[in-house]
Amino acid sequence: MNVAVMKTKAETALTENFSGVADALPGGADVRAARTKAIGRFAANGLPHRRIEEWKYTDLRGLMKDALPVAVGDQTKTTIADVIVAMGALGRIEAPRFVLVNGAYRKELSNLDGLAGVTVSPLADTLKDDAAAKGLAIAEEDRGSDAVLALNSAYVTDGAVVDIAAGTKLEQPLLVVHVRAGTTAQLAVSRNQIRVGDGAEVSIVEMYVAVPGAVADGQTNAASEVQVGAQASVAHIKVTTDLGSVTHLATCLVEMGADANYRAFQYTAGVGVARNQIRATFKGEGAKLDISGAFLARKSEHIDTTLFVDHAVPHGESRELFKGVLDDEARGIFQGKVIVRRDAQKTDGKQMAQALMLSETAEFDSKPELEIYADDVVCGHGSTSAAIDEDLLFYLRARGIPKEQARALLIHSFIGEAIDKVDNEAVREALMSEADAWLAASV
Amino acid sequence: MLEIKNLHVKIADEGAEILKGIDLVIPKGEVHAIMGPNGSGKSTLAYVLAGREDYEVTDGDILWNGESILEMEPDERAAKGVFLAFQYPMEIPGVAGLTFLRTAANAVRKKRGQDELTTPAFMKLVKEKAASLNIDVDMLKRPVNVGFSGGEKKRSEILQMAMLEPSLCVLDETDSGLDIDALRIVADGVNALRGPDRAMLVITHYQRLLNHIVPDKVHVLAYGKIRKSGGKELALELEKSGYAEFQKDAA
Repeated sequence: MNVAVMKTKAETALTENFSGVADALPGGADVRAARTKAIGRFAANGLPHRRIEEWKYTDLRGLMKDALPVAVGDQTKTTIADVIVAMGALGRIEAPRFVLVNGAYRKELSNLDGLAGVTVSPLADTLKDDAAAKGLAIAEEDRGSDAVLALNSAYVTDGAVVDIAAGTKLEQPLLVVHVRAGTTAQLAVSRNQIRVGDGAEVSIVEMYVAVPGAVADGQTNAASEVQVGAQASVAHIKVTTDLGSVTHLATCLVEMGADANYRAFQYTAGVGVARNQIRATFKGEGAKLDISGAFLARKSEHIDTTLFVDHAVPHGESRELFKGVLDDEARGIFQGKVIVRRDAQKTDGKQMAQALMLSETAEFDSKPELEIYADDVVCGHGSTSAAIDEDLLFYLRARGIPKEQARALLIHSFIGEAIDKVDNEAVREALMSEADAWLAASV
Repeated sequence: MLEIKNLHVKIADEGAEILKGIDLVIPKGEVHAIMGPNGSGKSTLAYVLAGREDYEVTDGDILWNGESILEMEPDERAAKGVFLAFQYPMEIPGVAGLTFLRTAANAVRKKRGQDELTTPAFMKLVKEKAASLNIDVDMLKRPVNVGFSGGEKKRSEILQMAMLEPSLCVLDETDSGLDIDALRIVADGVNALRGPDRAMLVITHYQRLLNHIVPDKVHVLAYGKIRKSGGKELALELEKSGYAEFQKDAA
């Protein structure tokens, strides 16, 4: 769209705020130059809106009325106990954790003991090294048109840089916890860089949560770059359970080496506006990809999952299963684009998106898109949206289970099918109890 | 005692009457069979007993132990001891069989004023009942009925029945889709539940099942009414003559 449009208040502020905070953002001259270029790219196009195909259902220009001040550094008196409470059921998991509050690493809240073969450091430190600027720029080059990522590059304050040595096998998941706290509504901008060496096996849980009493309003722009080495096996779970009025924009960029196994799971509940976009590229042959998730929304909440899976090489396998529960006037969106390039023969791709509608006024928009240029592939997709099955409800009630309990059991089982994709038992059970708590609040 | 009095039923939102005045009494301790041609209203009767909402009772009443159950919700009826073994048991993806059995058993126990089963007590009970029905407990760790064969689904129904200890068992075409071996296991499971405090209504199209579950009385349901009642020998007659006679009656 080359139509000149008046800049909205939020767009103007997002651009103009840059000069005011640029000096306070971490990084040397190269980083500063990359940031300036990024804000320039953002300024050229502004926020994405409904006339841009990938943003058809999530009109950010309409949804983001105001730009909040960028959080730089964190002065809140957040305690470990606060963080544990904010993590909900996942707070009970014994695992090393890297904690950021309002986009800034907080060492004293973190615990990175017992991580042999793994180094975790704050991005703010690495940004001071000029080589890191290239890391940011690389992600930008071929994806420069995305406004959300451009804003991330311009304003990013901190994040986790995770390096996992080849052959490392982590028993426990590594938790990267992004916490929102304090009484000032802010925009927190973070980026994680995760590099998994060849043959390593790890689980990483990335969380976006708010401490009790945190200001209801807020914005998050989060990005993660994941490089999965050859034969490496990575479970990457993202849990977003922030508050109902927060706008959460997340981008995940994944590259998979030969015979890699990458399993992503996205759990999103109780967020005002969430956009989870994932781009996954098959760089080496024989890799397996599973991107699945569960989303739960009520009132006027809006949860958008947009996938872009790029089968660039042959013999790749991709699976996507997303299930959502939508109540009141909530809106769920699933866009799943799978490209199978001309050379990507023997690709095997399957996609399914399902929504359970608890009200007449909820909405589910599902847009599978398969673009296949190779001629020897197996690809399929499906999508459903339906209310609770009355026949099943009767079956349960005929067994003595009261109506509300039967409904809850059916919703639990619906969403449970997606959550079952999480291999780590402790994480899976924690997510299920998070979902149950959400459901209990809806009855 | 089950007393069905002049029961008239139509499908809600539709005009056609399916049951046109059923009168039937089943005392405690007795097993009655209802036989009839397809479309005679057999399954409707089963669903109406269990309280399915798609049907509207336009006249008559159903009393269980002297109390009308028509206004009761399906789960209240279950708590009062009514159990329907479905012709087509539902698959419940995502709900493990054991979770389902325990939730159901404890829901009815709670309503009946009994203590809920502890985990060890529940497991002991379920293992015992499952063994008698030749059901592997590992199968119950899987989602309810998902991927089960026809025979496994029917055995799973009878296991639910055994776990819920109902006083009125309604079996809707429990023999459909069963081979001889499966039929025997299911029938043995049902027979094990026969007792002086339990009434049973066995709905079937074929006489075969009644060789294994021998009824005290047999009724012929055709075109929405009980057309004939008799002893267990009536089933054998029907097997020979078919239902043609009753189709003439209705015309």
